Amino acid sequence: MSYEEGTHLAHRQHVKYFMRFLNILPSSLSSHDTTRVTIAYFSVSGLDVLGSITSVSLELRSRIIEWIYFLQVHPNKSNGDMSSCGFQGSSTINIDLDEANSHYKCGHLAMTYTGLCILLALGDDLSRINRKALVAGVKALQTPEGNFSATLSGCESDMRFVYCAACISYILDDWSGFNIPKATEYILKSINYDFGIAQCPELESHGGTTYCALATLSLTKQLDKLSEEQVEGLKRWLLFRQVDGFQGRPNKSVDTCYSFWVGASLKILDALHMSNYGNNKKYVYETQDCVVGGFSKWPDTCTDPMHTYLGLAGLSLIGENGLLEIVPTLNITNRAFEHLKAIHRNWANES
Amino acid sequence: MSESGESDIEWIFYKDRPEWRDVIPVPENDGPNPVVVIAHSEKFEDVYDYFRAVLQNNEKSERVLQLTKDAVELNAANYTVWQYRREILKALGTDLRPELDYVESVIKQTPKNYQVWHHRRVLVEWLRDPSQELELTCDALLQDPKNYHAWQHRQWAIKTFGLYDKEMQFVENLLKEDVRNNSAWNQRYFIVNNHLGWSDLNVQREICFAMEKIKFVKNNESAWNYLRGVLLHDKRGISGNAVVTSFCEELYKNKCRSPHLLSFIIDICDEAIKKGESSSFHGPDRAIELCQALCTKYDKIRCKYWNYISEKFKKVKREQEEQKKQDEADEK
Repeated sequence: MSYEEGTHLAHRQHVKYFMRFLNILPSSLSSHDTTRVTIAYFSVSGLDVLGSITSVSLELRSRIIEWIYFLQVHPNKSNGDMSSCGFQGSSTINIDLDEANSHYKCGHLAMTYTGLCILLALGDDLSRINRKALVAGVKALQTPEGNFSATLSGCESDMRFVYCAACISYILDDWSGFNIPKATEYILKSINYDFGIAQCPELESHGGTTYCALATLSLTKQLDKLSEEQVEGLKRWLLFRQVDGFQGRPNKSVDTCYSFWVGASLKILDALHMSNYGNNKKYVYETQDCVVGGFSKWPDTCTDPMHTYLGLAGLSLIGENGLLEIVPTLNITNRAFEHLKAIHRNWANES
Repeated sequence: MSESGESDIEWIFYKDRPEWRDVIPVPENDGPNPVVVIAHSEKFEDVYDYFRAVLQNNEKSERVLQLTKDAVELNAANYTVWQYRREILKALGTDLRPELDYVESVIKQTPKNYQVWHHRRVLVEWLRDPSQELELTCDALLQDPKNYHAWQHRQWAIKTFGLYDKEMQFVENLLKEDVRNNSAWNQRYFIVNNHLGWSDLNVQREICFAMEKIKFVKNNESAWNYLRGVLLHDKRGISGNAVVTSFCEELYKNKCRSPHLLSFIIDICDEAIKKGESSSFHGPDRAIELCQALCTKYDKIRCKYWNYISEKFKKVKREQEEQKKQDEADEK
């Protein structure tokens, strides 16, 4: 296969790019203050997809692992309550609080999920995870509608956190905090008239939320709850998102991140091979910064760690050379997934 | 140094304010091994050092309300600050009307932030007063007609408080502005589904509406999807409604080759076959021919998909031929 100009992976630059984000960020990123773990996830998982985890020094790897564990919220010392357990996204509210305000120091589902992914990518054995507590933390966040809130301290609930809760339950190999029939019901209700899936029932179908829903159905082994009409409708809706790269909604601009969100959704439905890899790849490469590394959502705009990671993950799904394989449901590399399976085997032997 | 430019010339750090002398700031404890460290401004550190302190002291006062405003200005995505602000508003029994104005101003600055919309929703729930929500979301949608947060809030307010009356007009105006606005089409479905209902009359009216818009812009996926969605509520399906099928054939005759038209006709064929009403016009041969045209000419990017669909019809065709042979043999 011949490569057109500009369609090669700036591998070395991307490694450097992620290494910079693991280190120190400018004050202009202050709005990410409570979600630093996600930036660490994009960077660590990005290095993993690039096959470059080994280029992270052992010292830095251990620092990252210690930092993630440092953000684990443990059961309440006085009454043993575990509903706040999970990972915080940063140390912003890492303070001792008395009973009245103790709920402010609480885990956040997206941070717990991405924190666990970081530990897996770095080869940690999850032995310092309080599994029972994390599962209780998940359980405390499922709403009567079947979806999940992100945290205990006043937060919206939607499809994104259904997905995070499913990933956490899968990684911890414990579904006792996740009511599968309720969540499935919520997902099925969020399927729209065009067969795409929305953030909540009746809202507009969206590529990102369709991914969250399908990955959840796959992790909970509920894909068979979709009718044939729904599966075929979803395949078409997802494939029609391809313009050259992929868009997230009909008649919206193409964006690098949907090469992963829509690509992985198609992969889950075993339909990715029906998309056009060449056009997809060409678009993603148009958003690559070959000089300083990174990908952006659109050509010639600002790169960021999320689009860089998802751009690489999207390329990995279509088998791009030089990238490790991605598990579409958990959004970690196959390498990290194999490590998780070994941990699961150990847990099974222990019990 | 500061995040908000010139307005900060007069900024006085909390640590330098006499009225805050009684509070000992609590610095962030990021542990011995921090990574992904944000080099916050001095102002950011100062404000959040004091925020941690008041949270720890459980202070709920007017001055803390002001402090949370400063904290929000530095990071509107900090959900803890918003939640604590709500607890203070409750504890102090503060008039919530000015708070609506305040959060509106923050929404205008950061219209794609989950926390601000959540705060708005809680306030409206507390007040049981949705009278400003349509205007607020209308303003946000004027800025960005596809802002997902604004649509979510709008649907919630409409559904919770039954504000459907003028919504159809709102949607029609948006579609006049941009007939490809998929969010607006979705909202139209939402109104019929929740409010007007899918009576035969409404189904026919919505079909006509979609067809009008398709005539105007033929390759508009949103309008085609809407048409298909409406037909979910037509007992005759997509193959049995003569108005729709002749509309499609008319377009086809007039040389329209939009992939959405062709895929629609393929679906008509599929349904006709499944109902046992397949004809030479709406049967496997026609569908296979259309798949071929899409694959090689009109929708090449999805060529593999159209081959996949075509295979299904080829299978049907083989089965129909087998059946025919069988029937002939039985007759002999």
